[in-house]
Amino acid sequence: MTSTARTSSIARTSPLAGIRVVEFGPYVALPLTGRILGSLGAEVIKVETNKVLDEMAFIPAWSRGAGQPEYQRGKKRITLDVRTPEGRDLMLALAGVSDVFMTNFRRNVLDRWGIDFPAIRERRADCIIMWQTGLGGHGPYYTYKSFGILVQHLSGVSLMTGEADEPPGVVNTSYSDYHTGVFQPAAIIAALMRRRLTGKTATMESSIFKSGVATCGPALLDYQVNNRMPERRGNRDAYAAPHGVYPCAGIDRYIAISAANDGQWRGLRGAMGDPGWAAAPEYETRIGRRRNETALDDGIAAWTRPQDSAELMGALQAAGVPAGLVAQGQDLHDSRHLQSRKFYQDTRYWEAERGVKATEWAEGESVSWSIPARLSETPIAFGEYRNIGADNAYVFGELLGLPSAEIARLEEGGVIY
Amino acid sequence: MPSFDDYNGETLIPPYRILDLTDRRAAFCGRLLADYGADVVKVEPPAGDPSRRLGPYPDDAPHTERSLDFMFYNTNKRSITLDLESPAGRELFRRLAADADAIIESFDRRYLDDRGIGFDALRAVNPGLVMASVTPFGGAGEWADYLGDDLVVMAASGYMQITGEPDAPPVRQGNEHSHYPAAQYAALGILAALYHRDFGDGDGGSGTGQHIDVSAQEALITYYTDAHPALLWRRLGQNVTRVGTNSTLVIPLGAYPCKDGWIAAGVITPREWDALAQWIHEVTGNDEVLSDAYRGGNQDRAEHIDIITAMFLEFAENFTVQELFHEGQRRNLVFLPVNDVADLLADPQLAESGFWTDIEHEDAAIGTLQYPLGIFHSDEVAPGKRPAPSLGADNLAVFRGELGLNSAELAALRADGII
Repeated sequence: MTSTARTSSIARTSPLAGIRVVEFGPYVALPLTGRILGSLGAEVIKVETNKVLDEMAFIPAWSRGAGQPEYQRGKKRITLDVRTPEGRDLMLALAGVSDVFMTNFRRNVLDRWGIDFPAIRERRADCIIMWQTGLGGHGPYYTYKSFGILVQHLSGVSLMTGEADEPPGVVNTSYSDYHTGVFQPAAIIAALMRRRLTGKTATMESSIFKSGVATCGPALLDYQVNNRMPERRGNRDAYAAPHGVYPCAGIDRYIAISAANDGQWRGLRGAMGDPGWAAAPEYETRIGRRRNETALDDGIAAWTRPQDSAELMGALQAAGVPAGLVAQGQDLHDSRHLQSRKFYQDTRYWEAERGVKATEWAEGESVSWSIPARLSETPIAFGEYRNIGADNAYVFGELLGLPSAEIARLEEGGVIY
Repeated sequence: MPSFDDYNGETLIPPYRILDLTDRRAAFCGRLLADYGADVVKVEPPAGDPSRRLGPYPDDAPHTERSLDFMFYNTNKRSITLDLESPAGRELFRRLAADADAIIESFDRRYLDDRGIGFDALRAVNPGLVMASVTPFGGAGEWADYLGDDLVVMAASGYMQITGEPDAPPVRQGNEHSHYPAAQYAALGILAALYHRDFGDGDGGSGTGQHIDVSAQEALITYYTDAHPALLWRRLGQNVTRVGTNSTLVIPLGAYPCKDGWIAAGVITPREWDALAQWIHEVTGNDEVLSDAYRGGNQDRAEHIDIITAMFLEFAENFTVQELFHEGQRRNLVFLPVNDVADLLADPQLAESGFWTDIEHEDAAIGTLQYPLGIFHSDEVAPGKRPAPSLGADNLAVFRGELGLNSAELAALRADGII
């Protein structure tokens, strides 16, 4: 039975309905945390200003802002210049009616603005605080700068990737940001449970650095016990063979094949049409295949090279062999499998333009993924994507009770801007 | 909701009972929940979890109680043994599930249903049960029955497409990275579902559980959103690919060799370039680097990549990694060390921020090891300090203490190879 079939027809509230979260900060990990909490039903209020736009709105170059729905959907968005005294007071007032305050600004910056954590707790004693840092909020590196893609080097992952004697192996993304972005909402939900049961609040400090190191795996123990550095094996495995990527027809096309046991190897051999070379006795056992891996890989590559990677994946899977095409953007976008799961969905966005208020930005069409935890009874919402400042009237008027004339005055004065 | 009378908030997560049926592809889910306070019971086959037979081991001597792989993924859990292939084992499992808050599993999607212990069967005896299933491609859809391990998921998610050098084949990230995203989303989903059951739905809790479907492929796709693969295809008809260690657009950006290793550096703003150019000039006496031709923002130097890279390398080779790191940061530049695992274990920031949890092992061959459990620093709560359990360490406590089996019944189950 599929998850879809399990979904009951009774409408229920979302898991975090009734929880209010203030999100204060740019880039990847913090906005992702807000998107997840918002999609789980929390009212996430993102505080930003037209005066200093999130640099992420200007990446990617192919359309400014087109990638933003992936990080910013499912939230209410307000504009507030917290560097002004009135802006600061409004920020603290907002924290005063919120369950969670989360930020990724550095300590000295928060101090300068007067939005330190004691000031927040003064307004709401049990406010849960998540403070996301780059390298740490205390300790020797607390003033140090970092950014996404380079943290994979700092975290130890790049020297575990690729072949020995090659430069560090790099993935072209902000490696650790995503770990932090998913660790944080989990910790926040736990802190909300703890608060309900004990009345206690919590201040939690995360770091992009630590989130990355947490994923280094058993190699951290192997070094301590055996004084051994992780072996850089490229696509090979310590145990399984064959285990690698093999070329296919087309430009930059590959398939990954991993046969962990003799049965899967026999499946692969059969799918190849039982060629004579593959019947050699040295390939009968896992250890034999591992020892003769170079010749084995050459034989497999000669077979895969003229084939279509997607069709080959289907044929190998049908033969019981774990295999996957190395997917490109087109494969993911057009994937019938992902479409049937409604993983990618269409969304609007606004084309970011410096020096122009976000409400004046042109609207466009984009695509964005769904959060990959499918809850059967309370499905995680894809979430609406709203523009910067779209919820000023609700937050400042309804929530904080400012009369409209006062809101107009603050807009005029560049406080709500 | 279970009774949490003894819970005073010493752990972040209340001690929910969670049965962990995962293999190493999703074992991190239960570990995360256990490290932060959940009562996670790993249900192992009588011969033990397969990763117990996977190295590395101390001195490379295989031993089911000394697999460092098992130890890494199973801290703070308890262990019981149970043969789910036998009717008696399944009956005991049903009794355990009746009192559990959540189950995590990573079997092929029909495995539990085929044995009469799938979600629908178990929720009939426990309507509050939350169950998360982690599979390579999710529980529904055309590829739902496809097999996958770390390599295959890394490929089919496209993560590999952007890992490695542009003129070389795609490469697997060496830390078995696909084990983390799906496990993290499963942990998140479990906590959200338990919150809804016990504290949500208008505050009193809905009282009902639910099933959570996590596809490792989808989870890993979301972990490289920077590259926007589907979006780039839709808008420009282009496919993302590998860029290698160093950027060809932003210079310098990437990892560069120095005296004793590699330094990661990224110069984005005009001010950062000016600071770097001045520093290079101070060290090498090179005047060329100060030329106006190279000044400006991150892409203004793209046409000068060869000469700038050469000047940077000539400069960097005068220093150690640590010298470049600290002096670079002092000059407000993003310079970071390219660390290996030894560097991480010696890093003062990690040491001072409570990242490492010292865990004592009774086994002298292992001793006390540092585990990377302190993902969050908090004065109020800390991760647990219990090592991964020995095989079946909690059989008595669970089967006798909780299910009330007597010694004769336990002996019979043991004799039949069920526990």
